[in-house]
Amino acid sequence: MLSLNRRQLLAASAATALPLGAARADVKPKVTVISQWSAGSDGAAITALGKLFEQNGGEWIHNPVPGFTTDMMNKLRAQILSGDPPAASQLKGPEIAAWSKIAPTVNLDAQVDAAGYEKVVPPELVKLHKPFGHWIALPLQLYRLNTLWCSKKAMDKVGATELPKTWAEFNALATKMQAAGIQPVMNAGVRWDNGMIWEIALNGISPAAYRKAIMELDDAALRGPEVLAAFEQTRRFTGWMDPNVGNQPYASYIPKFLSGDIGMLMMGGWVQGVFRGAGLQYSDYIVGPAPQDNGKPAFILNADAFIFWQRKEPEFKAGQELMAKLVMSKEAQKMYSGITGSVPVRTDMDLSDATFSNQQRETSAALGKSVQSGQVVLSLAHNMAQPNQITAAMLDVLTEFVHDKTPPKEGQKRLAEAVDGVR
Amino acid sequence: MRARLAPLLPWLAIWIPLGICIAQVVGFTLYTLWISFTPSTLVPEAGFVGLRNYQLVLATRNWKTAADNLVIYGLCFLAVTTALGLLLAILIDQKLRGENLLRAIFLYPMAVSFVVTGVVWGWLLNPGLGIQRLVNDMGWAGFRFDWLIDRDRAIYTIVIAGAWQASGFAMALFLAGLRSVDSDLMKAAQIDGAGPLRTYRRVILPSIWPIFIAVFVILLQFAIKTFDLAMALTGGGPGIATLLPSIVVYDFMFQRGYLGRGSAAAVMMLLYLLAVLVPYGLFRRWRAAKAASA
Repeated sequence: MLSLNRRQLLAASAATALPLGAARADVKPKVTVISQWSAGSDGAAITALGKLFEQNGGEWIHNPVPGFTTDMMNKLRAQILSGDPPAASQLKGPEIAAWSKIAPTVNLDAQVDAAGYEKVVPPELVKLHKPFGHWIALPLQLYRLNTLWCSKKAMDKVGATELPKTWAEFNALATKMQAAGIQPVMNAGVRWDNGMIWEIALNGISPAAYRKAIMELDDAALRGPEVLAAFEQTRRFTGWMDPNVGNQPYASYIPKFLSGDIGMLMMGGWVQGVFRGAGLQYSDYIVGPAPQDNGKPAFILNADAFIFWQRKEPEFKAGQELMAKLVMSKEAQKMYSGITGSVPVRTDMDLSDATFSNQQRETSAALGKSVQSGQVVLSLAHNMAQPNQITAAMLDVLTEFVHDKTPPKEGQKRLAEAVDGVR
Repeated sequence: MRARLAPLLPWLAIWIPLGICIAQVVGFTLYTLWISFTPSTLVPEAGFVGLRNYQLVLATRNWKTAADNLVIYGLCFLAVTTALGLLLAILIDQKLRGENLLRAIFLYPMAVSFVVTGVVWGWLLNPGLGIQRLVNDMGWAGFRFDWLIDRDRAIYTIVIAGAWQASGFAMALFLAGLRSVDSDLMKAAQIDGAGPLRTYRRVILPSIWPIFIAVFVILLQFAIKTFDLAMALTGGGPGIATLLPSIVVYDFMFQRGYLGRGSAAAVMMLLYLLAVLVPYGLFRRWRAAKAASA
């Protein structure tokens, strides 16, 4: 009588499976990933990345934590404290350096060198992802924050065909829209939105002052005329926004933008993915760089990245290797940016493919030119320029300024004082 | 064997869960207390910095705003919710038809999550879309109800939403109290010629005053720990105008990565709670002592 025990049965089934691709002696690559991307175009993009990972023979386990980046960090903290960090997690900006001090990360130098990745990534990003001389995180996609989206219908109503190039032109257009009964500036009632319009104003006035004041926290620059001008411009914005907006997200007002009741939106390229999800066509809006007073392209950079946490298990090591390879690849970056509306981190990619929009092509070209002219800066409101403590203290002042009637001079003083308090 | 275990079983059933609860509550309270004296930032760290975290938190504008807001919110919420709850209870107590249905309707908000309450009221109170717009469109063009975006009044919108949610609960407690009043007492009052208002004011309400204390204590601890309602309704805004201590704790711990300062803020919240509960405890002891001596 033929009787197999469990072990024999397993061996037999393994033997039949062997010729079908499992011929390698090593383990099946596996990664556990946590990120904030759960829904919409972000969720779709990371799901697609997971599919790609699985097609390449890996096992993909994604645990999204919806909300702001800091909400995702709470889960990351809990997992690190319990000794079970994910193989990879989303993390961005200076937090990469800060978090790498509390748990060991994977040194990615060899893989980055082999892929020749460092040469094709903007230098501002290299600094953030190679904080202590070693690559520990890989940027995945980037956005330009200082992007202006104008409603086609609203532009038609006031007879405008081109985006304003300077703040003076912007102000003239907004005044015209207001006279025509259009709400010129779209706004959300949330902190980062309030901070973002201010930083877009400052960058448009002077990227050099932005670098000094926001990235280097230089006191003289913070109290200087450019920062004051940014507060004055923000005060103008607030007069053009819907004062009735409470704690509601900007996306709630997309229908009004489409119908031409709201004129302009200042926000990063992810709007493209959100607009697409809301059913808007490319012909429904005009998009391009936000006003830039010195006429040269400038770029407020916001980039998403994965950091890799050290694990002993061989399947995780193999998985991290595979994931790093994929994240750096043109194929994955094209797919990812195609879904979210971002720009690939690689500067050597051809964006003429139909996957990309004119907005993405223009943004990508602007990045190259801004790198050359030294006008790439890092976003404050999106946690790229400063660690969370400093960002939060500055955003407190900026969101207060947007909602109260403080004169610009007083706002500037409060910002400088808040920075003094956390420096 | 089983016979010998039997008398132990009730003890096991009570003390094991109770022990776990006590270990969790007291244990984590002590842990938070310890963290508040350490220089912890992203993760807990050993070390001792004395009262530095407390000083830093107390010096921020955010905490000052939150502490003021808690007093305003706590008192208003208590007053409005108690008054509404009592009014509803008295009205329902009039032997209405459909009492069960009404009671269920008034209690229903308590079953709704605070986040839902916050989001819904956020839209209702949006002056461009909600109540103000409705009244304006009905013809009263000058009507203003823009508290949600008014920095000085936004805190009262949390009172409104909170009272909407909790007054049904207060009603249930009061109703139970009203039903427990001896009907002979009411009849006696009626025979003496007291009107309904006077009967309530002089006879019934004084006899259910312990219910008031219970409602106050439950509502106050509810007010002190309010978090999700404010987060969903105002997000602490406009600006930082409606921060509450619980939001400051969350903000320090999880948004800014200052575990030490967040813990210090949490301990100060606990002190607020003690400021309510200790007098109540003393009062109960005093009453018990008085009852025993009488």
